[in-house]
Amino acid sequence: MGIRVNRVLRFGGLWVALAALLITGVVAVGALVAGGYDPGVALSALVRGAAGSPEQLFSVTLVRSVPLILTGLAVALAFRAGVWNIGAEGQLYAGAIAGVWVGLAAGDLPGWIVVPLVLLVSSTAGAVWALIPTLMRLRLGVYEVITTILMNFVAIQLVGYMVSGPLQESRGVFPQTDAISASARLPLLIPGTRLHIGFAVALLLGAALWVVLRSTVFGFRLQVVGQSPAAARITGRIDGARVIFVTFLASGGLAGLAGAMEVSGRTFALYEGLSPGWGYTAIAVALLAGLHPMGVVGVGILFGALEGGAGAMQREAGIPEAWVSGIEALVILAVLAADQGRKWFARTRSERARPAESSVG
Amino acid sequence: MTDGGADSASPPSVELEAIRKRFGPVVALDGVDLAAFPGEVHALVGENGAGKTTLMGVLSGVVRADQGVIRIAGRSVRLAKPRDAWASGIGMVHQHLTLVPELTVLENVALGVRSAAWGLRLPFDQVRSRLEALSHETGLSVDPDVVVERLSVGERQRVEILKVLNRDPRVLVLDEPTSVLAPREVEEFFHVLRGLAYEGRTVLLIAHKIDEILAVADRITVLRGGRVVHSGASHAMDSGSLAHLMIGRDVAARELPQPSEPGAELVRLEGVSARGSRGEVALSDVHLTVRRGEIVGVAGVDGNGQRELALLLAGAESPESGSVQLPDTVGFVPADRMGEALVPDFDLTQNVALALTDMPKYRRGALLRWGRLRSATARLMDRHGVGAPSLDVRAWMLSGGNQQKLVVGRELIRSQALLIAHNPTRGLDVAAGRFVQDELRRLSRSTKEADGEDPPGIVVISSDLDEVLELSDRLFVLRKGRLLTVPEARRTREFVGALMLAYDGDSGE
Repeated sequence: MGIRVNRVLRFGGLWVALAALLITGVVAVGALVAGGYDPGVALSALVRGAAGSPEQLFSVTLVRSVPLILTGLAVALAFRAGVWNIGAEGQLYAGAIAGVWVGLAAGDLPGWIVVPLVLLVSSTAGAVWALIPTLMRLRLGVYEVITTILMNFVAIQLVGYMVSGPLQESRGVFPQTDAISASARLPLLIPGTRLHIGFAVALLLGAALWVVLRSTVFGFRLQVVGQSPAAARITGRIDGARVIFVTFLASGGLAGLAGAMEVSGRTFALYEGLSPGWGYTAIAVALLAGLHPMGVVGVGILFGALEGGAGAMQREAGIPEAWVSGIEALVILAVLAADQGRKWFARTRSERARPAESSVG
Repeated sequence: MTDGGADSASPPSVELEAIRKRFGPVVALDGVDLAAFPGEVHALVGENGAGKTTLMGVLSGVVRADQGVIRIAGRSVRLAKPRDAWASGIGMVHQHLTLVPELTVLENVALGVRSAAWGLRLPFDQVRSRLEALSHETGLSVDPDVVVERLSVGERQRVEILKVLNRDPRVLVLDEPTSVLAPREVEEFFHVLRGLAYEGRTVLLIAHKIDEILAVADRITVLRGGRVVHSGASHAMDSGSLAHLMIGRDVAARELPQPSEPGAELVRLEGVSARGSRGEVALSDVHLTVRRGEIVGVAGVDGNGQRELALLLAGAESPESGSVQLPDTVGFVPADRMGEALVPDFDLTQNVALALTDMPKYRRGALLRWGRLRSATARLMDRHGVGAPSLDVRAWMLSGGNQQKLVVGRELIRSQALLIAHNPTRGLDVAAGRFVQDELRRLSRSTKEADGEDPPGIVVISSDLDEVLELSDRLFVLRKGRLLTVPEARRTREFVGALMLAYDGDSGE
């Protein structure tokens, strides 16, 4: 194929990711030392908690990576098209509500019908949740960064209403739904662990998205719109509004699917605080991955390990779990810094090269 | 150096020596010398892109020169930021007004004051008495207590000038100040400028309307292509010689394009009217035909409907009224190369693909044929001499000339019938510009291609008068949305320039 990996990358790619990880690591270790912790003990606890045993690896790390990969793909896809969808969290919850509702209502049907139905309805719900910001951007020119964040709060409140109202458990004691029946639960990928087929689905979707971006006309146009709306319209004759519409809804659909994977694969019920902020962490995942779909899969697993190891770090080294959230936030800053560094480096290098070259022109 | 003005006994209040500034591959200022003296109105003139605005940026501390010396009242200074320029006594009156519409005149002027009391309280009383004194001195009278949004544009500009004068600059720089004024206001305004100079200040005026420059300036410095081509007393010039200096070389010395035999008709515009992005009428009742094998030139200053005509001919926009007939595909070289023609962060193959995603040859169903696009790009670069180390470099890394060759080549893949080029050589150095022009001429003169088609028709829309005079078989001027035919017999720089700039009798509309 004529196309190379780096052609699809929006940000600087592998080097930026590695530099960002290095910056994050140095700062994190420095902060641990400054906070009076032993970084060696902390890191070994982290690693053991994440991948110390098959149980830890498959049932904790990889299970947690599923929503991170799916929401990460949602964010990466949207960002590539210049759609700043910060609403993966809300879209995930919309998907979770819809998924649990289908699971509860259609639980009597055989699994080969219910499970696909749950996934389909959830991703539709995620897309519908994204539809409002989409229309507001395309029709009214309202910036989606604001509307998607606000829709997150609406979704979180809606979950609260659902689990203490229409979808509350039949006992009526706790603010949560009944557990969905066995037929509505995702089959396991590896028997004896908690790893469900959602992980395989996430990997397949990552690969599919990669193909879409690098090989299809639509994927290319999407990136043109994201890079330069003016060039898309005037040179590419691309209908930017249509591209944004499709991309935004697809992004919402991916995040909604993440919600289905959670209720149908891990918790089997809906309650408040189901997501520890997957939809926000997804932004760090997507940026560190350079918005590359396969990169999102890798970074999603890495972040799943961080989340998985956080518990062990707290138990064994006495470091609060909040440190992991801090590290994830640090990743975003490090990626932006590393990418800025790359741009600066490329510019100075080309300025030095240019006087010789311009005589050719 | 300039020839001696009236006050050359005193040292120049502003002196620039060998100022150079480049933006990437574009040389904006190429060794500019300038001297302006106390008590004179000094006009800085030139066409779009001549470097006027960059030079003013250098003087006001917004743009940092790469090389050269700036002396204020004989002392060498460094102007790294706007505050430095202020400290050196240079006051800048901007083209776009910088007042807060909700505040009164007094409040706006007071905002510009760096006050005592740690900036906690603005010195309104002090400013008020200063304003009164200034109004008296200069005749710039404005009610200090009226809210700015209730003022006319001319009055607002007066406030803007008062705001700058309040800080008592020795040098007052005005960037195209008359563009917002009505003719009667212009006369009053010039009277004020003369008064300011009479007090011993230096007034440095950026302008492009020839009649106005001659009316107000003591001395005139003409910039062209980033260089000073003339600097001297205004009474030694007339509108003809000034237009000549601004517009450039003598066309008679150049080879005129060979007449060609136009082929089949490609474009027909009839009674076309269109609106611009802000809803204003940009084109009115335009009639135009274009045939294969001819270059149609459209001269004119940008902002007179150029962009709308280009987008219309490119098929990117439709008219408000009138009929438009175009070929199925049109190649288009837009004026904004980095913003509209190329995606700077994409590599060369992607930038070629950008224009070709609709062509069946480069698609397999929903997939793009990157292999074919890549070899098409390689062939294009070879044929058009695009200098680049590889296909994988990003577009922004190429020089302007190479970028433009890539764009022209790509647009010829898109359409072999019709090519629309808007300011195709703007921002390019002379050699690169010439190469692109030669390429356009060669295309329109080429004999039948292998596929048996006649050469393409080309439309060049340009504010560079030399370019259109040289290239066009038929020439038009687009001014205020109207397309004016230039008769073959009157294809001189003077006539066309007058038509473009409208400094003769009919500028009153």
